[in-house]
Amino acid sequence: MAHFIAVSKRPSSILPFLLPSWSESTVSIQQRNQSSYRRTTQRLRLKPDSSFGLSTDQIYDHIIHNPPSSAPSVYHTPTKFLPPGDVRSTLRAGTSVPNSEALPTLFKSDTTKKYHLKQSDIEEIRRLRLSDPMSWSRWKLAKRFECSPLFIAMVCEASPEKKEIQKKVLEAVQSRWGIKRRIAREDRQLRKETWGRE
Amino acid sequence: MKRLQLQQWSGSALSPRARPACGRLLYAGLRRQTTVSSTTTDAAPAADAGVATSRQLAQAPVLAASSQMSRRLLPSPPVEAARESAKLAALHARLYLPSRFPLETLARTLVHASADPNADFNNQSLATLGDDLLAYYATEHLLCTYPRLPLTVVFAAMYAYVGKKTLAAMAREWGVELAAAPGGEVDPGLLQFHRITPGTSLNTGPITGTTRPNDDRTSWRRGMTSRVVYDDHFGEPTMAPGATQQSTSNITPTVTAEEASATFVRAIMGAIYLHAGRPAAKRFFSQHFLSRHLNISELFNFSQPARDLSRLCAREGFESPVAKIISETGRKSRHPVFVVGIFSGKDKLGEGAGSSLLEARSRAAVAALKGWYLYSPLDVRVPSSMEEDGAAPWKPVYIDPGEVVV
Amino acid sequence: MPVQGIRAVTAARNGVGAFILQCKRLDLHYCDWAGSSRGMVAFLKHQLPAFAKENPQIEIRVSPRPHKHPVLRGHYINGREKAICVRNLEPEQILQKANLLKEASGEKLKKQKKPVTSLNESVRGIWSPYHGDLKSV
Repeated sequence: MAHFIAVSKRPSSILPFLLPSWSESTVSIQQRNQSSYRRTTQRLRLKPDSSFGLSTDQIYDHIIHNPPSSAPSVYHTPTKFLPPGDVRSTLRAGTSVPNSEALPTLFKSDTTKKYHLKQSDIEEIRRLRLSDPMSWSRWKLAKRFECSPLFIAMVCEASPEKKEIQKKVLEAVQSRWGIKRRIAREDRQLRKETWGRE
Repeated sequence: MKRLQLQQWSGSALSPRARPACGRLLYAGLRRQTTVSSTTTDAAPAADAGVATSRQLAQAPVLAASSQMSRRLLPSPPVEAARESAKLAALHARLYLPSRFPLETLARTLVHASADPNADFNNQSLATLGDDLLAYYATEHLLCTYPRLPLTVVFAAMYAYVGKKTLAAMAREWGVELAAAPGGEVDPGLLQFHRITPGTSLNTGPITGTTRPNDDRTSWRRGMTSRVVYDDHFGEPTMAPGATQQSTSNITPTVTAEEASATFVRAIMGAIYLHAGRPAAKRFFSQHFLSRHLNISELFNFSQPARDLSRLCAREGFESPVAKIISETGRKSRHPVFVVGIFSGKDKLGEGAGSSLLEARSRAAVAALKGWYLYSPLDVRVPSSMEEDGAAPWKPVYIDPGEVVV
Repeated sequence: MPVQGIRAVTAARNGVGAFILQCKRLDLHYCDWAGSSRGMVAFLKHQLPAFAKENPQIEIRVSPRPHKHPVLRGHYINGREKAICVRNLEPEQILQKANLLKEASGEKLKKQKKPVTSLNESVRGIWSPYHGDLKSV
């Protein structure tokens, strides 16, 4: 519908460059170089958005709120972070909050902590990790006990032999990297460090 | 600018030179500083009485021979030269210093302790006072304007406002020129100090001789809390007074141009406080120091922002933060952009954009943490505003429980 | 340590707070004999004291330069200098030139493309295609 309106606003014969190539032969006869440029710019000059300025029926009795299309400034303290006595929290009370419930979460799996593991489970994790470190890695233990690998690392530590083997595996993999891959990985690490800085 | 006058120069080179210590003693009577009040000279320690009498004895011949020749024997320009210097008067007018601030004191602020070791004629005492004033005014401004700043960032912001590098840049922007070498015949409008020899290493390993306990244990950790107690206002260890004297007793001290310029700016601040009073010093601080541009949000460096934010929310009793995608484009392309917001319950804490979900989440967490730390109350008053006449009654400023500890 | 501080240096904004005149020294050279210095000598005799009194921030040096045209030379805080030859000029014209040197910043002359340059960040932020309302045109 919007497309149709746009077309009706600007008759395509006035904008020759918008026409497909088959119509070029007919248009080129009427082409006037200097004046057509001015007319084109005049036609392309869009009217301001309807949210700008005053409409005819409302005069001087409302505030135009036109939020910037830019990322919010860090100097603008979120309402939740304002201390209790601050005036701004009451001033902002009326403003509408975007519905955060409808937004998708970052990852598909649910990352909320469940706190379901007991002391006996932790003993079991430690026993498995010590008994067969090659098959019971952090990821496998995390999957089995439905917790995060970080939690596995917090409750137990791999044996020194396992660490040594893992180090050798890593060295073997890295020895196959060429110069480009090595530089690219270093750059990626450097870029990652700038996340917390700027 | 040193102008070579060949006859005098050859004369001074040929004649047997007076020992510097004797020279200083001889001309001390001639050089009387305006900043030294009569009470302090009267209250000189009794041990100095012998020196004082010799000064009085030496005063008569010195006053007669106040020639260009005698100036060469002085380590820094004599006091009466300040009235003759065009540079000094121009600097006085350029900084809009109050008329109560005499040119002689301005000349004294331009003499670093490495040029003239006599404490009556160098700017050491003025710089000590000025440093304390600068630190006080900058600290109260920072702590009242941004009450939640973490200590590391406070130290960095203090360094940005009144650190050595900034003060040296200010001296340069005031048009202060450096003398090639100090001496009595040099124009008193030039900054005088002994330059450090080129090629000298400036960072000489771990620092010892500080005021910290166990400072010989260089491998020990310097925690943030101990820095508040023991160290200076930039979080750097302060040198004990005994340690610096030992190192300077045998060789002539040399400093970098940056250090000398910074000392000059501190001395100006101290001298304004002494001559023109507290309001003038505060005005000078706000006009020259606080008016400079600093974006405090660029002083933060987070290593694990998402973890810090969840600790913060747990401490403050908010719902745990959840990252949600606000908008995205080109997920399967080479240049995707994700805009991720971090929400605590229904409230948005911060948002960030990045080319991967993890990057966007990390940036959003950084934005949320900065939103917390950069909170600023609406009506900021500093404690020193109570010193003015007719000040409104003091209302306590906002004080934060402190930064996030992980 | 959760957060670390990055050391920075504040940037000067001349005129916000205090204003430092950028011209720090004015050298005036003249010749006692040559006719091209006639206006300069008259300027030195009659108008320079008033000019110096008006502008105490500028250090003024007057020195003869025999058998050469008279020159005004301004030295600036940024280390640059500007020289203007004032041969055969009237004292009023020389005063204009001196004022020109006084008011200059010392930078090379360049075209100013923006009416305002500022270190402060924009109030409405930098435009981003991913923010703001969707507008139908």
